[in-house]
Amino acid sequence: MMRKNIGTWIMALIVAAMIIVPFVLPSEQWVNLVSLILIWALFAIGFDLAFGVTGMLSFGHAALFGTGGYALTVLMISYQIGFLPAMVAAAVVGALLALGMGLFALRVSGLFFALLTLALAQMIYILASNKLRALTGGLDGIPGVPRPDLFGIDFYDNRNYYVFVVVVFLLGLAMMALLRASPFGRALRAVQANDTRASQLGYNVHALRQSAFAVSGAYAGVAGALLASLMFYISPQMLHWSTSGDVLIMTVLGGKGTLLGPILGVAVFELLKEELSQITQYWYGILGLIFILATIFLRNGIAGLFEGRDDEGGAQ
Amino acid sequence: MTAGTLACENIQVSFGGLKAVNGVSFDFAPGRLYGLIGPNGAGKTTLMNALSGHAALSGGRVRLDGTDVTGLAVHQRTRNGLGRSFQITKIFAGMSVLENLQIAAFAHRYRLLPFWLPSGRFKAIRAEAERALEQVGLTALANRPAEYLSHGDQRALEVGLALLSNPRVLLLDEPLAGVGHDQLERAIDLIGRIVKDRTVLLIEHNMDVVMQVSDEIVVMVQGQLLASGSPAEVRANPAVRAAYLGEEA
Repeated sequence: MMRKNIGTWIMALIVAAMIIVPFVLPSEQWVNLVSLILIWALFAIGFDLAFGVTGMLSFGHAALFGTGGYALTVLMISYQIGFLPAMVAAAVVGALLALGMGLFALRVSGLFFALLTLALAQMIYILASNKLRALTGGLDGIPGVPRPDLFGIDFYDNRNYYVFVVVVFLLGLAMMALLRASPFGRALRAVQANDTRASQLGYNVHALRQSAFAVSGAYAGVAGALLASLMFYISPQMLHWSTSGDVLIMTVLGGKGTLLGPILGVAVFELLKEELSQITQYWYGILGLIFILATIFLRNGIAGLFEGRDDEGGAQ
Repeated sequence: MTAGTLACENIQVSFGGLKAVNGVSFDFAPGRLYGLIGPNGAGKTTLMNALSGHAALSGGRVRLDGTDVTGLAVHQRTRNGLGRSFQITKIFAGMSVLENLQIAAFAHRYRLLPFWLPSGRFKAIRAEAERALEQVGLTALANRPAEYLSHGDQRALEVGLALLSNPRVLLLDEPLAGVGHDQLERAIDLIGRIVKDRTVLLIEHNMDVVMQVSDEIVVMVQGQLLASGSPAEVRANPAVRAAYLGEEA
């Protein structure tokens, strides 16, 4: 128990140190890299509520992520809506889309759930890149996604935008920490550990899964909106199934079911990608190899190194 | 709390072509303990699944306190006062014994689960879980991860979880399964304590135990009711002896 607490504190320190780096070394490279990491981390902690906490392996999170980005972009560019309302809308759209996907996909579980979410997400990918060209700009995407326009601060300066990202990230992290520690969060863990027993206790397991998926969708939507704004650009690539694969890899690498693990997973993934892609064009293959080794030798991901637990949520 | 009534009206459950439960009608009177016995494959657990909502009925009705609950999901039946323990232990691994019981207490107390406060803030829930802990005799193991408990203790936790929904009708599916001889007394004693003021349906293979604790015995064979009555009556029933008890004697 002691060791677990210390491990959690060490992880929190690492995350805090990472957030501080761009303030100490305000080079364009660090600012952009940590911005990217925090945005993907927000995506990953949302993903992990569905995956690590509730036990739903979704392969459709790219759709929630990308749709959030498109929601912000279209609302801001075509409807002149401000950044904050558009970001809230991205969260709502992400949650509603997740509810819609859950309506079909939550009729089944396990592998079938993963496949159904994948199929539904691919449908949205095809819609965005083809059928809804008028709205989404097709495969070309939409350039010129705006930055926030708040308090007279110039968020087109990447360092200022970084501060904005940090604030949203910390808010999201705090809300997730509370949610996971709450009776609701406990019930989600119970659903993962034994859904038969959970329903026998009087929990509406289906409604709990739907809620978790919707909250997860809201996080994905906000993260997608932040990313589109960071890049000044959105394209169907964000909706592509490989995005769902990336967030899964990051989460497992970091330690599923833990609050801080996925953040470290994202950081390691992005750092490796940054370094490896400068050395070889086959960086994705090397990353895959590292991932395979990690799943074999680091059963609980990076968080397992610190917390030293044995397999959590295992068999009865 | 008052004990509830449970009525089976011509219950049928089919798996493909197999009629696992084939037309069972029975009224369980309030406050009595019914021992459900029968050879393997007689359909006892399937009947229990039909009553708790885990198996879909292909015919018939289930009434809880006179209300038709046939169309209700498992969690809705629980909220209407039906509790259950399982033959294969179903506890929440990765959580402590106390956390297991707290989760059960939250399910019972809240329809909309609080998501804005940490679980630790709910003192009443903790107190309720601790009472259940004491009732099933696991106080000393409160902080032990549930999956590390001995089999006997897991069975006790299983019963504790079922208890926390404060059921008026309690279905116990082999609560003594796998419990060693040295723990048997304690387990029987536990069952004796928790069944008060409840209507209980107990599936149990240990004949001595079932005859000792039951008010009434219900015998199932091949998906149908063969006989029912006091333990003495059932023991003396020639049809039961031929179909079931005789094989064991």
